[in-house]
Amino acid sequence: MAETNAAVARLDDAEQIEADAGRVSKITEVPVGADWNAVERAMLERRSIRKYKRRQVPPHLIRRMLEMGRYSPSQGNCQPWKFLVVRDAAMIQGMEEYCAGACKKLSTSFDYTTHRAGSLRHFATRAKTRLFNRLQPNMLHPVPMTVATLIAQGRFAVFHRAPTVILLLMDKRGIGTPEIDIGICGTNIVLAAQSFGLGTCWIGFSKLLNQSREWCARLGVEAPYEISEAITVGYPVGDPTRPIARDTHEIVWFEDGKKEILY
Amino acid sequence: MALLSKQERRHFPDWDDPAQCIFQRVDIDVEKCDGCRLCTLVCPANVLEVYVEDSRKKARVKTSQRGCISCNNCHAICANEAIGAKLANDFVGFYRQLGRGPFSLPRKF
Ligand SMILES: Cc1cc2nc3c(=O)[nH]c(=O)nc-3n(C[C@H](O)[C@H](O)[C@H](O)COP(=O)(O)O)c2cc1C
Repeated sequence: MAETNAAVARLDDAEQIEADAGRVSKITEVPVGADWNAVERAMLERRSIRKYKRRQVPPHLIRRMLEMGRYSPSQGNCQPWKFLVVRDAAMIQGMEEYCAGACKKLSTSFDYTTHRAGSLRHFATRAKTRLFNRLQPNMLHPVPMTVATLIAQGRFAVFHRAPTVILLLMDKRGIGTPEIDIGICGTNIVLAAQSFGLGTCWIGFSKLLNQSREWCARLGVEAPYEISEAITVGYPVGDPTRPIARDTHEIVWFEDGKKEILY
Repeated sequence: MALLSKQERRHFPDWDDPAQCIFQRVDIDVEKCDGCRLCTLVCPANVLEVYVEDSRKKARVKTSQRGCISCNNCHAICANEAIGAKLANDFVGFYRQLGRGPFSLPRKF
C-alpha cells in the first residue's frame, strides 16, 4: 500500500523529482509559422511513385529503411511484422503476372462497367456487385475496382516495375489490431526512404498473393503470417516534390470548456 | 443521429452513371503544358493522356475514364505548373465525404 502511494506521489511530483535530480529537460520552442523541418519536408514531399529508374537501390539503404520499421511503435510492443525483400526482377515479374491474373478475375466478376450495357452478363454482374457492395463496402469500392480493371487490361502495373519490392507480413496473433502496427511500420520505412531521395508506393494489391499456394510456398508465407501490404522502392522518374493541395478535414477542438470547429 | 441519411446509407453509387462515379477534377493549362508525359506516368487512375494538336503535344483527361481521386500527383511532378486538381474527390450516397473543408496547400501554423 505504502509503495503504491509512493508511486502515485512520484507521478504527481514528476517535475519536482526532475528538479531535485538537477536534470530539468529543455523544452524546444517551435515558433509560429516556422519553416518546415526535415521530417515535415519528408512527409510533405512524399508521393506514391509509380515510375522508377532502372538503377537498383543499394542494399544498405534498404537495410536502413527496415531498421526504421523495426523501431516503429506497436501495441504491447508486439512488433507483429516480418519483412520479405524481393530484388530478383524475374520473381517480381512473376508476382506481377499472378496479381494481374487475379485482378482480371476480380474485374470480370465485379466490374459490371466492363460488360456490354443491356447484356445479360452486365445485368447479372451488376446485381451481384451491388449486393456485395453492401457487404464489403471497403474492398468493393469503385476506386480499387477501377484500378483492378486497368490492371486486368494491362494499362496499369501492380508493382510498377520497381527494382525492389518489400513485402510486409503481419503476424495475425499480434496484440489488439496488428493491421495498424503494420501501417505505422510501413510509414516509418517509407519516410526513411523519402529522406534518402528514394521513391516508394504502397501496394494493396499485393495481398492477392496470399491466395496463391504456389507464391506463398515460394516466398515462405505461412500461418500465422500473411501478406499485409507491399512497398515498392526505387529512384523516381522526374521530380515529384512540388507541394500539392489536399482536402482539409474538420477538427473538433475542446478547450477551456468551449468547443471549436477548425479546418 | 447519423451523419448520413437513411437513403444515403442505402445508396451505393452506380458505376455506370458518370454523374455518380466519374470525376474530372483535373485542370490543365494547355498554354503551359509542354507535353512531357510525366503526369501520364504518375496518375494512379491512369486517366491522363497526351495528344498531338498542331504538331504540339499536350496532356488531357481521357474522356472514357473514371477513377480520378484528386491525389494531385500530376501537379507534384509538373515542372510548368500546368496541371492539378482544385477540387476534392467526392461520391454520392454511402460514400459521400464528410467533414471536409476547402482544398488547401500545406499550411504553416
Ligand atoms: C495501404 C495503401 C495501399 C495502396 N495501394 C496502392 C496500390 O496497390 N497501387 C497504387 O498504385 N497505389 C496504392 N496506394 C497509393 C495511394 O493511391 C496514394 O497514397 C494516394 O493516391 C495519395 O497519393 P500520395 O501517396 O502520392 O500522396 C496505396 C496506399 C496505401 C496507403
